[in-house]
This record gives sequence, structure tokens and C-alpha cells, in this order.
Amino acid sequence: MTTAVQAVPLRAPLARSGVRAARRGLGKLAAAILVLVAAASVTFFAQLLVPGDRATAILNQQTGRAQRWSAADLAPVNHRFGFDRPLLVQYANYVAGLFRGDLGTSYTQHRPVTEVIGDELVPSLVLTVAALVTAWVIALAVILLTAKRNRFVSAIGSTWEALTASLPPYWIGVVLLVVFAVELRIFPVIGGTGAPGTVLPVLALAIPLAGFLGQVTRDEFEKVLDQPFVITARTRGMSDTAVRLRHALRHSVLPAITLSGWALGALLSGAVIAENVFGRPGIGQVLVVAVNTRDVPTVSGIVLVVAGVYVIANLIVDLAYTLIDPRLRAS
Amino acid sequence: MSRFGIPRLAAAGGSALLLSTLLAGCGADATASAGDTKVQGGTIVYGHEQEPPCLYGGWVQQAYLDRNILDSLVTEADDGSIKPWLATGWKVSDDRKSYTFTLKSGVKFTDGTALDAQAVADNFAYWEKGGNSTAKVSIDPYFKSAKALDATHLQVDLNKPYLPLLTMLTQAYFGIQSPTALKRSEKENCEQPIGSGAFQVKEWKHGQEVVLVKNPDYTSWPETAKHQGPAIVDQVVWKFLNDPVGRYASLSTGETNVIYDVPTVNWKDAQSKYDVQQYITPGKPVSIYLNTIKSVFTDKLVRQAFAYGADRKAAVQAAFHGVIPYEGNPSVSQATPGYDAGVATAYSYDAAKANQLLDQAGWTARNAGGYRTKDGKELAIRFAYPAGSVFTSEGSTVLQILQQQWKQVGFNVTLIPETQAETFAGKYSTADSYDAQPWYWTSPSSAILWIVWRPSTGAEPNYSNSSFYNNDELSTVIQQGNSAATTEEANKLYGQAQQIIQDNAAAVGLYTQTTSLAVAKNLHDVWLEKSQGEPVFADAYFTK
Amino acid sequence: MTALSLAPAALRLRVRPATALSLLIVALLVVAVLAPGVLTSRSPNEIDLQHTLLSPSLSHPFGTDDAGRDLYTRVVYGARESFGIGLGATALAMVIAVLLGFTAGLARGIVDTVLTRILEVAFAFPVLLLALLLIAIRGPSLATEIVAVGIGSAPGYARMVRGQVLHVRQAGYIQSSVALGHTWWAVIRQHLFPNAMRPLVAMLTLAVGQSIVWASGLAFLGLGVAPPSPEWGALLDAGRVSITTSPWLEIMPGLVIVLATLALTALGRTLQHRLEGAAR
Repeated sequence: MTTAVQAVPLRAPLARSGVRAARRGLGKLAAAILVLVAAASVTFFAQLLVPGDRATAILNQQTGRAQRWSAADLAPVNHRFGFDRPLLVQYANYVAGLFRGDLGTSYTQHRPVTEVIGDELVPSLVLTVAALVTAWVIALAVILLTAKRNRFVSAIGSTWEALTASLPPYWIGVVLLVVFAVELRIFPVIGGTGAPGTVLPVLALAIPLAGFLGQVTRDEFEKVLDQPFVITARTRGMSDTAVRLRHALRHSVLPAITLSGWALGALLSGAVIAENVFGRPGIGQVLVVAVNTRDVPTVSGIVLVVAGVYVIANLIVDLAYTLIDPRLRAS
Repeated sequence: MSRFGIPRLAAAGGSALLLSTLLAGCGADATASAGDTKVQGGTIVYGHEQEPPCLYGGWVQQAYLDRNILDSLVTEADDGSIKPWLATGWKVSDDRKSYTFTLKSGVKFTDGTALDAQAVADNFAYWEKGGNSTAKVSIDPYFKSAKALDATHLQVDLNKPYLPLLTMLTQAYFGIQSPTALKRSEKENCEQPIGSGAFQVKEWKHGQEVVLVKNPDYTSWPETAKHQGPAIVDQVVWKFLNDPVGRYASLSTGETNVIYDVPTVNWKDAQSKYDVQQYITPGKPVSIYLNTIKSVFTDKLVRQAFAYGADRKAAVQAAFHGVIPYEGNPSVSQATPGYDAGVATAYSYDAAKANQLLDQAGWTARNAGGYRTKDGKELAIRFAYPAGSVFTSEGSTVLQILQQQWKQVGFNVTLIPETQAETFAGKYSTADSYDAQPWYWTSPSSAILWIVWRPSTGAEPNYSNSSFYNNDELSTVIQQGNSAATTEEANKLYGQAQQIIQDNAAAVGLYTQTTSLAVAKNLHDVWLEKSQGEPVFADAYFTK
Repeated sequence: MTALSLAPAALRLRVRPATALSLLIVALLVVAVLAPGVLTSRSPNEIDLQHTLLSPSLSHPFGTDDAGRDLYTRVVYGARESFGIGLGATALAMVIAVLLGFTAGLARGIVDTVLTRILEVAFAFPVLLLALLLIAIRGPSLATEIVAVGIGSAPGYARMVRGQVLHVRQAGYIQSSVALGHTWWAVIRQHLFPNAMRPLVAMLTLAVGQSIVWASGLAFLGLGVAPPSPEWGALLDAGRVSITTSPWLEIMPGLVIVLATLALTALGRTLQHRLEGAAR
């Protein structure tokens, strides 16, 4: 009996009945909204746990100081942002605003949070998605080329994966920056948002992730290549490449697809580092500054956006499952 | 089924060697050809560091930007004297409580509003009402009112004579904004302050850069300007590059023409390839406040032992690779008018003296860790410092070196790096939260002494007095200095104040805050403003 | 046969060179954690302002930093903190993952749905945000970092555990065990847990490695442990500025992190394959 790691989808394939499908769809939507509101609420209250007074933090950030302020200085700030109202009222106002599509106004930038995030969301998404795609391409290429061939080649492949999975993203990022941007001048030092400036940040994030995804998929891949139905395919004359591509790959990517959802979150976190090292705008930076300055609306807004991205990613993952293997079998 | 070949370790080792070689090798430098022909126009790409939350405000990061967008009444020359800018001249009344400024006529803001005396008076009111708390604290409690006598004459009245007034007004915090613009929403004022300066804000790409374009109708340059007329370049792209490696590297690849804050490890390299300028910030240097009311530092002997107990000069020298100067004077930095150099020589490293003072203070016993104890209590120091914002990793190295040295004389110093969140929230601002904490203030005048050392009372607390040091004699001396009739008299009194602070070891000197610029060789006349070290681009031009 | 006992596997005499190497590295790491004095005679905080920024040599295998401290010694002593974070965070993550994953996988209906939703909410908090919030609330410390990295990585592993439980639960031997009248607890302990968790053993060592990498990322953002801690991430953060002038300060700690993670991962995979072999 095998003990293969078999990924199991989180939800059963969509039922055929139209009504049931519609109900399911609505259920999913409701669940998604619940998740979003819950995430934003947790953030809202978590930030209230941060010690210190919010008005003080705002005044200090505006003047670059770190002192206490007199009640006379704090009062107008407290009044302006509604800090003097009861906590539940503040929360209720915030949630009501969410349903209106109003994420509030940044305490420090005096702009709507939607603007604060909107400006810098696209570069982060581009970086994250590109890194995920690149990681997949690298991982798949390495596996297809090196899995279950002669010992030496396989060893190179799995060594490469293990090595790259161990690289701290910013360490490799700084090394890439110095080698390829400063010394060899192939890419710009200041990344910005243009295509040439995106290559190095994407690589810095994609290479370690490729190693990680590769390791997970490789195990599956090699096991699948031993399966009876693959052997049958070979005896029927299918070429090695075709076997790898058409049969083995489909079955072995499932765990890695599950991981991709998680990888998205890890990438968003790693994006801060890439943005820092390569001088690239992005919501990672916005997040760090917002937490430091206790800009509660902005942090909650970012969590909301990230949760939204997850919900969409989950839907895509579900879709990918049903496309790759409409009826999942336990072997 | 994992088959790692022998190559693994060889690969790792080989790549280490390769990496080291590549990284240590000097890349071909990109110093642009520095010919002699002056070029009209062009774009300066400036690599700054920190992005502020708004483009105008009381933080020095905002002053850097505002110096290029706004004009002030007066400016400070390199020798410290006050020179005309928007104010072509001024008269001081006999009782020194009234200043009458004559303003340059015909100046307009970039939105068309006239820059007349009423506009300036409106700005004073705006600052006092909270529009710029740093501006306010620089002139309180001396400032009484500002009123326009006619279109070109402004009268500023004070409650008491205040000799540093003009020097304070040279700071970019006192840049004049259009009163029409000030009536706009907070968001617009945050994003795009309107002034009469050499440049105006075209757009702000958050997280990336601010684009400044030339003001073609510029007529009000200061007397210290290096050329007459509007800016020579067409625009300045003010980029925010936080990472020091990337920022310095961008200069070598030509992606920037001038950068801020050269990393000290690259200083020698920068001096060989670019024009490097260093500005020592006047005001309070980075010095260590000692909690005088609620810690082991209530005892003056212990404070003095702390000052003698570590080689601060050597630590600063080593950690900053000789680039940033040591400052023995804890209250006023060497670039400030009124600085007393004699005060700075006190408390040079003397471990024997420190030990003797601690013995004298009763800390004679030692515990198992080697730290001194008295009545069962350990000589423990909570040393909180703002990591990341004020203290770079090099600054942190200074503290680590000092920590080891203080250990030798028996202090158990615990370093507590404050995150920005904690710093802004004021977590380490109360007397219960720390024993020692370093900080700095920028100010073009020794009047900073009043801001920092004014005794804190219940009715009027002084939250800037982070040593919680209330000394009435000190207070009197500083106030006399502020209201003195001549600079010589003022400096003598300020010197006395610095001596009092040093004698009582209310704070311990460390190093000066500095600004540095590295400019590509084909860019000329980028200079650092005297009052706060802001980079000025109004006179800059390229050559080819 | 299904027990997670290592003894029979380890007695096999055929050990590959790569595995031996990994064992050696991990052994060195363990020595560094438990008895650093064996590997170096210096103290990690010993400053020497006369010998700053020396490049690697016989007396200073990794060179010295700008306070004259021996980098090799600092790396050795840093193992304790970095490993501590790695192990602590992974242990925390696994405990949470097993609790959540098993509960969700075994329970049905509403409990499973609710837990899955909670996991999705948890996913909305990238590790970074959690770390930022936790550190903002509690201040930076070893404990906060462990908790932050542990809680942040738990949802991913919880999902995997849940998947495994759902899969193994349908297996024939489980059904027959239940039909034979064994208590649920006995079934879990003897069949479900080992079979569900065995494929994830490699994940454990991988997780330790990833936690170490993540902790060093936090130090990069200035959220690390207080100085003069020689935690590897802190060393990387401090060495970054000097990468072109004194590259060993950045290269050496980075290499150590890579090698340590690599060895842990290799060992984990070997262990898993042996266990799976033993289970067949």
C-alpha cells in the first residue's frame, strides 16, 4: 500500500445541477465576504493592542520626534480621527465604510486608503505573480529534465533544488544586485516598475520558491513514474517525454498547486524585502510604514486586499484541480 | 531516493569563491565625462533616502524638499551671518522686541497669488496654529504676533527679546506657502505645497519619487545663491532609495547624478570618483540622555563614571570608519554658533577614574557576572535607542563596542533597540522606561538649549527634556542667552549653560549628526544649505 | 511496522556519502548549539579595535567585523539563537497544524467548514504582517520571533495535515480497525497519525530550515533580536552595507545558513525515505 502524499481538494467538484451550483456559488461568495470582514476586523483590533497612544504616534511621525505630547496638542488629533469615540463605534464605522467601498483615510498621508494602496498594489502583484510563474517554470524545467534519469543527473537536479530552497531571498537578492546590476550592468540598480528592473527582484523571489516547489513535486513525479498506468503507457509505445508530460506531470503537480496558494502569501511577505533591496515601490513598504506609524486604516486595508487576493487565488486553485483531474482518485 | 552527489560541497565552496571575487572586484566606474561646456536644461536624478508622509511639515525630511520649493524670509551664509532672501532688509526696534521686514516686491507664488506681507503674516498664523509644530517650538514663547503694515512691510512682535529669531527663520520649516493654497484640503497641502521657490511639485509617485519642475518665473533667490535667475536644469527627480547598497551603486551606474548619505564604508571610494560634501548638523548632536530622576543615574557620580567608563571616541572612529566626527559636547554640536570647544574635552576615556567614582558612590560589591552591586541591586542600565530611524547598523556597532567597555568597569548595559512603531508611540518617553537614550536635534542656533533643557513643570511639561533634568540655574542662564543683546554676550552665556550640563553629566556626548552628498563629476553647484544641510538644486548645472 | 521508530532504519549499514555529509554538518550544528566552546575559544562579543575588518585568515577563518570581533566565533554562537528560532517556530507551527488539521480532517460538517474558514482568514495574514503586528505589540525578542514565524507558517502545514488526514481516513485498514471495535483514540494513535504524518517528516526539517531563513528576513527589516546577538540574520543585516568592501561579512553567514538548511533538508528527506521503506 502506498503512502503517497495525495492532495485532496478542499471542496468537492461542482455539482451538475444548476440550482445547487448557484446555491454553492452564493455560499462561496458569502463565505468569502465573511473571511474578508473577519480579516479586516482582526487587524483593526490587533492594532489597538499595540501599546501607546495613536494620536501621539501620528504627531510624532509628522515631526520626526519620539516624545509625549500635552493633552492640548493631542485633543484636536483625537477629535479629528474619532479616537475619542467609544471603540465599538469606531469599529462599527469602519465596517460600515467597508461595505460602502470606503476603506477610510490614511492617518499619516491624509489620502484615501484606496489611493494609498492602489498606487502601489499593481507593482506588488506583478512582482508576486511573475515570481510565482517563474518559480513554476524553473521548477518544472528542472524536474522534467532531471527526474528519474541516471543517478548523476538526478543528483544534480535535486541538489540544485535543495540548494536554492535554502537561499535567504534577500541574501540572494543583494548578491544578484551586486553581480548583475552593479558589476555586470545588465540590469538597472534602481528597479522602478519597468520590465528590465523587474527581472532581478523576480529572480530573487522565484529561485528559492522554485527549489521548494521542485522538491515537493519531484517526489510525486518519481512516484507517479512508477505507477502501473505509466508502465502500461510505455509498453504501448509512448515516448519518454510524452509520458513525462502527459501523465506524470498532471498527477504530480497537485501538491504543489496546493502549496501555491500558500506560496502567494509567502511571496507577498518576501516582496517587501525585494522592494527594499531593489528600490521598487510596492505595498510591502506601505505595510511596514503603516504598522510603524499605527496607520490603522491602511494596515486593515492591506489585509483586506491580501485576503481578497487569496480568495481569488483559491477559486483559481479549485478550478485548476477540476481541470487537471476532474475525478480525483485515491490510488 | 535522494541522491546527492559529491559535487554538493564542492559546488557550495566554488560558488563562495566565485562570489567573493566578483563582489570584491571593482566594477568599471561610470564617472561621466566632466567636460567644460555648461549645458542648459537637463534632469537631475537625486537619490534621497527617506520618504516623508507629506511634502510639508515639521520633520527634517520635509525640510529637505521644502528648501527647493519654498522661499524663506532670510537665509544663513556660511559664516553664520544672516542674509536677505524674501526680506531685502530688516530693522530691529531698540527694545529688540519688534522686527520690521521689508519684502521684495513683485514676487508671486506659482499659483499666481501675490507674495506680500499679508501672505507672510498668514503663514506665521498657520505655524502657530499647529501647521508646523517644529516651527512653532522654535519661536515659542517669544513670538507674539506678525502683522502686515502694507504690501511690502511686515512687523513681527515678540514677548521678550529673542536674539536667535532670525537664525531660526532661516530654516526651511519657515518656508512661505501660498495662503490661497493653505485653504485647500489637507490632502492637497500634503501632496503639493505651493511656494515661490526655484522648483514646484509636478507629481509625487508614492514609494518612488517626487518630480520637481523648474519655476520659470522665479525671481526671489537668496543672496547666497550661486547664480542669478531661475533654475538652470528643467527638473529634479527626487527618488527615495532606502537601501544604502542600492543607493550608492546607482551613482556608479549613472542612474542617479547625486545621492544623499554616502555609506561610510564607501567613503574613500566616493572621494576618489565623485565630489563628496559633508555637512555637520548644528543643534544637539547624537548624545546620550541620562535619566536623572528615576534610575541609578540620579547620582551624579554614577553619571560621570558612565562618561569616563568607555572610550566613546575610539568607538565612533572604528564604527564609522573615521568619517563621522566624535562629539564630546553633549548639548551643542561643533557646527552650531555658540559651541564651546572647551566643554567638549571633558570626560575622555579613563577607566580608573570611572572605577574610583563608582567605588565612591557605594557600588563596591560585584556579583557573579562581574557587574557592580549596591544593597543587593545590580548596576543595570536599560539603554534604549531608536534603531532603524536614527541609528543605522554602524551606530548600533558603536553602542555594542561601548557596551563591552562599560562591562569592564561594572555597568550591565542592556541594549534595547526600539522599533519605529515603539518610537513613534512614545513607548520610551517616560521616566520609567529607560535609563539612557540617545537622540539628536537639528537647529541652526544654540537656542536649541532652551528647547531641550527647559525645566519640565507640571503646568508646562517639557517633553523634549529627555534627561528629566530640572536645573533652575541652567534655565536662567539659557534664557539670558536667548535675550542677550549681542552675539558675543549670548555665546558667553550659552557656553556657561553647556558647562553646567557637562559638569553635571546630564547627557553624554557621542557623535554629530551629519549629511553627506556625493555628486557626479559632470554636475556642478549642488550645495548644502547652512542652516539644516538641505541639498539645493536651484543653481546646479550639467557640463559636457 | 507502522511505528515511527528510527532504530531499525539507522542500523542499516549502507550510508551514502551525501547523507554522511549532512549528518556531519547537522552534528556540528548541534555541537555549536550545545557546546560552542568546543568549536571556538574566543567570545562572540570580544571587541578588538586594533584588528577590525580583517579578511579571512588562519587565525580568523571568517575574518573580523568592524568592531574587531571574530566572525567565525559569532557564527558559532549564533547557531543557538537561529536554531532556537527554527526549532521553536517549527514546533509551534506543527502543534497548531496537527491540532487544526486533525480536528478539521476528522470532524465533519460544520466544524470542518468553520475551521477551514478560520484557516483562510489566517492565510490572509502573511508571515510578515503577523511578525510586524506581534513585534509592534510585544517588542522585538526571541520569543516574539518564534511565535510570529510559528503562527505565520502554521496555516500552510495545517492544510497539508488536513489533506493527509482526509486521504488516510478512507483507507481500508482504518475501516477494518474501526470495524474490529478499536477505540477511536487507539485508531488515531496506531494507524491514522503515523500514516498521515509520515509523508510530512521531510516537511519538518524543511520547515526548520525555512523558519531560520524567515527569522533572518525579519532581522533584515530591523525586527530582529537585540544586539549584540550574533543571530545569523542579524549578522547578515549588519554585513549588507559592506558587501563590496568586506564581502566576507555578508557571504560567510549566508553560506552557513544555506549549508545548515541544506543539510537539514537532506537529512529529512533521507529519513522520510527510510521510514517509507520501512513501512512498505
